[in-house]
Amino acid sequence: MPTKEALDGYYAVGARLGPIKHEQNDWPYEITRAEFAAYMVPPHDVGGQPDAPVRYEEKQEELWELNTYVTCEVLGWRGIWNSEERRRLGNNDLGATLYYGFPYYGRWIWAAARMLIDKNHITLIELLEKVAEVKARQQKGAA
Amino acid sequence: MSGNSVPARFNVGDRVRVRDLPNLFYTRTQMYVRGATGVVAERTYEDLIPEDEAWNRDGAPREQFYIVRFRQKDLWSGYPFETDTLQTELPDRWLEPAGG
Repeated sequence: MPTKEALDGYYAVGARLGPIKHEQNDWPYEITRAEFAAYMVPPHDVGGQPDAPVRYEEKQEELWELNTYVTCEVLGWRGIWNSEERRRLGNNDLGATLYYGFPYYGRWIWAAARMLIDKNHITLIELLEKVAEVKARQQKGAA
Repeated sequence: MSGNSVPARFNVGDRVRVRDLPNLFYTRTQMYVRGATGVVAERTYEDLIPEDEAWNRDGAPREQFYIVRFRQKDLWSGYPFETDTLQTELPDRWLEPAGG
């Protein structure tokens, strides 16, 4: 269970990833047409938006990134999903905070897990139990 | 690979305008080309439209895709160069004839 301090930390990171202009906007009864239009733009349609320069960096893929890549490709070869579903889930359905906040392959593995649950290949509780089991095993190994 | 295909309406050189359908859940039609007029540069292939493929509707009708060329200054306010162009790929139903 996260401590109170850890929870405050999660919320602080979420707020930092949000838009720069902060307005109180919590479940309003009404929104303007302009706000509705802005909210409905799919988060991955970023062409033409202002952004900071990207720093170019030489970097090899890490093992978890390669494992993620292979997992997602194999799910494709087996016909479990196609490339457009992968874009929808991993670029769009995860929402703006994760789109900007996750590493590239973090979005991929989020999408794979979400799809497997959406299509009833696994259940959410199975996945939660599995992640908890692996986490416990790793902590034991590290101790 | 089942499903019929929709007859293609456009040819290379045709002037086309991109439709401005609502935004709901997913799109491959960039906001910055909505409502813009361009020219068909190439007919590419028939395929599922993204709105069907993104939900794995393999049996849906296939549509012709086109590479459409726009003038950059038609897309961005204050774009400084006359001759620069931008190309993107769109399916038949997202386009309408622009005449001229």
